[in-house]
Amino acid sequence: MSELALELRGVSKHYGDLKAVREVDIAVPAGAIYGFLGPNGAGKTTTIRMILDIVKPTAGTISVLGAPSALDVRERIGYLPEEKGLYKKMKASSIIAYFAGLKGIDRKTARTRAYELLERYGLKDFADAKIETLSKGMGQKVQVLASIAHQPEFVILDEPFSGLDPVNQQVMEDVIKDLSKAGSTIIFSTHVMSHAERICDRILLIAKGTKIFDGTIDEAKKKIPNRVRLQADAGNDQLRALPGVLQVDAVEDDLHEDLWDLTIEEGAEAQQILQTCFAQGITLRSFDHNEPTLHDVFVELVGEDAREAQKR
Amino acid sequence: MRNALMVAAREYAENARTKGFWIGILMVPVLLVGAVFVMRWLASDATPTRHYVVVDQTGRYEDALQRRMDLRYAASAFSSYSSWVQRNQKEEFKGVEVDLESMPAMNLADFNADTFLDRLIEEQGEEKFEALIEPGGFDELVEQARPRLVETAGEFEVPRRFFRSLPLPADLGIDPMTAKPDEVAEALKPYLRGEKEMQVDGKPVQLFAALIIPAEVDEHFDPLPEGETESSGVIGDVADGIRALTGANQPPPVQYWSGNLADSDLFERLRGNLDRELRQSQFVKRGIDVGLVAGVQRMALPIKKLDPDKETGKEEVSQADVLRENAPIGFVYILWISIMQVASMLLNNTIEEKSNRIIEVLLSSVTAWELMAGKLLGIAAIGLTMLLTWIASAAAMLWYWASPEAEAITNLASVIFDSTLLPAFVFYFLLGYFMYASIFLAIGSICNTIKEAQNFMGPVMMIMIVPILTMAFIPKDPHGTLATVLSWIPLYTPFVMMNRAAADPPAFDLYGTAIMLVFANIAMLWLCGRIFRTGILRTGQPPRFKELLGWLRRGD
Ligand SMILES: Nc1ncnc2c1ncn2[C@@H]1O[C@H](COP(=O)(O)OP(=O)(O)OP(=O)(O)O)[C@@H](O)[C@H]1O
Ligand SMILES: [Mg+2]
Repeated sequence: MSELALELRGVSKHYGDLKAVREVDIAVPAGAIYGFLGPNGAGKTTTIRMILDIVKPTAGTISVLGAPSALDVRERIGYLPEEKGLYKKMKASSIIAYFAGLKGIDRKTARTRAYELLERYGLKDFADAKIETLSKGMGQKVQVLASIAHQPEFVILDEPFSGLDPVNQQVMEDVIKDLSKAGSTIIFSTHVMSHAERICDRILLIAKGTKIFDGTIDEAKKKIPNRVRLQADAGNDQLRALPGVLQVDAVEDDLHEDLWDLTIEEGAEAQQILQTCFAQGITLRSFDHNEPTLHDVFVELVGEDAREAQKR
Repeated sequence: MRNALMVAAREYAENARTKGFWIGILMVPVLLVGAVFVMRWLASDATPTRHYVVVDQTGRYEDALQRRMDLRYAASAFSSYSSWVQRNQKEEFKGVEVDLESMPAMNLADFNADTFLDRLIEEQGEEKFEALIEPGGFDELVEQARPRLVETAGEFEVPRRFFRSLPLPADLGIDPMTAKPDEVAEALKPYLRGEKEMQVDGKPVQLFAALIIPAEVDEHFDPLPEGETESSGVIGDVADGIRALTGANQPPPVQYWSGNLADSDLFERLRGNLDRELRQSQFVKRGIDVGLVAGVQRMALPIKKLDPDKETGKEEVSQADVLRENAPIGFVYILWISIMQVASMLLNNTIEEKSNRIIEVLLSSVTAWELMAGKLLGIAAIGLTMLLTWIASAAAMLWYWASPEAEAITNLASVIFDSTLLPAFVFYFLLGYFMYASIFLAIGSICNTIKEAQNFMGPVMMIMIVPILTMAFIPKDPHGTLATVLSWIPLYTPFVMMNRAAADPPAFDLYGTAIMLVFANIAMLWLCGRIFRTGILRTGQPPRFKELLGWLRRGD
């Protein structure tokens, strides 16, 4: 994985006073599945639009498949925008063929591919239906197929899972995995951490336009402290005194007043804490220790920003 | 370029495939033809027969009036007969005149059919029409014509009368000849108001009008009695042996009663014929030969309209020339309509792409320039399809109706398919289209809804309306200041130059404005392209004017 499919260096985008993206560096190795994560308004879509040269960066350089502009290599790129939409009066198969045609595929091949894809991903019966007669999710699937019908080596999907039912979310995951198996590099943005966790090789976490984290999922999980949640008849001080405990926080919960979050030292075993509790005669009503999920990572690293964004 | 063409092909297919498009296109000729038929129908079948009564207390007018109305009717029926024969003639007789003498050519100026009918009666002589008045009057003519008609000709349907005089009702209760005119009117009012009905062939009809001619209405016109001189006249001034009455001395007027104020045809016809009869009788009373007067009145100096711009020997102005001078008005109108129509298609589907956000996918596949070029070309092809369909249907219709009889239509065809007008039309259509289409495209690119676009369309329409307001004047003064100045404003060049096209504009204007138009098009495409490129990806409020200027300068 020496070759880079995408490289951003010091890329910023300002809309007037608003700094939507601030000096972001990204390097996406060829063949990777790369997730863009971040709260609403973080700058994911803006970054993606800059990668596609739909929006010009205020500063910084972008190199896509070795070219300075994605438009130079647009035949090799597939793009699903955040806001989905298609020509309402066109047939599903014609639309897929049309966009493939714009990417340089000849008419006949484009048509056969359109039918193949529709069949493979469960839309065979709707191949000749007009878009306006499809449901929103089906339309979205058609659009995804339209963006990959030319078998691009670099695929960029902005929130491909939004608006899909669980079954179709699975289909979407399959699409991404199939693409990856065929050798494509894939970038997608999402708010659903479980998808990212399941299929990404690497993730980029971004908030308020600034890059917070960039690396593999395991690396991401190491970023957050180890935690234990327990329910106990014990005071803050008593818990704080346990060996290996760094910090004790009362969990804000209306139902329980005795719920605590203990942050434990790196390397400290949760098992150890449990035993010490028994030894000290602290009555435990519950004890919880889970490996941190990507969700926890997200909340930990950008939760504050996300809440802020919501208030705005 | 390949991408632009693909975009164009899609635009074309999307529009040309809809039923609405073709219905819209074919609607125009259908409506035009429909309008002609409706107008004809309104003029003939839709107008009911008008029944009227005449109370002539002088006893001198009634018969003459009746005869004149009959002759007019016969003449108009004859002209229908003549068209019927022309339509149904065998091929070898086409162009040969129908018995009698030739029909006077229906001139474009003869919009007033009465004038035409009077000329027909005048030129052919009254006797020829007398025989045609009665029912069955045309039988003999039809038999005569039969050998030269095609088998399928059928029967000639003698047109019905539009005006019909009735005898006075018996139950008036007064003696209409001796009663005062006002009393006669009073007695007739129930009929005129529709409270009572008249009987015609046993069917009840409503009385449309009544004409009451008082006994002493015209006596003062009579020649002065022997010995009386101008100065001794007591009841008016006398000049050249004709007495003019003033003020209280004036006799009671002729009364025309009718509840229908809108339809004045009968009134005009009766009045004209009354005056005609008065003059005829005065000629007789003064010993002037009526035939001689009629002969003199037919006299006319031969006169020709000539055009100095035409070849020697062919300077005479024909009907085709007149049409040719006026045809550009029609062309300008069609030009305007079609440019408006297709440019708005562009506006609408740009807004559709924008609000559907298809635009982003498109722009990841094609450049903004390619997209714009593709859209412009695709819709231009739609426009040309529309024009070709119109031209073809016009050609088909003109070909169908053209005949020696319909000289006007033949001339119209020759004008439309004239060697210079059509190419000029296509040229101005294309350049006018690209100019306005790029403006509409730029507007579409900065708006998210049709409603927002309407705010921008207001000013554009104000600009675009000018050629429509001036199109009727420009052919009258095709090289005047107004025409020349407007020609040099590129936004108006297509329309105004089309307007002037038939009048052979000076080469400087013709080529100068054309070159300028081409450059203006390039400039407009460039400017609108910059707006399009930035605007098309924008969401939210349309930009302010100042912002637009910024885009033009920086283009980001
Ligand atoms: N065209 C624009 N003009 C002005 N501001 C913009 C424009 N596009 C985006 N922004 C701003 O840039 C910031 C980043 O927006 P962006 O769409 O990139 O966020 P995002 O990470 O994709 O969020 P979400 O998860 O909600 O899709 C936001 O504050 C947004 O308001
Ligand atoms: Mg987004």
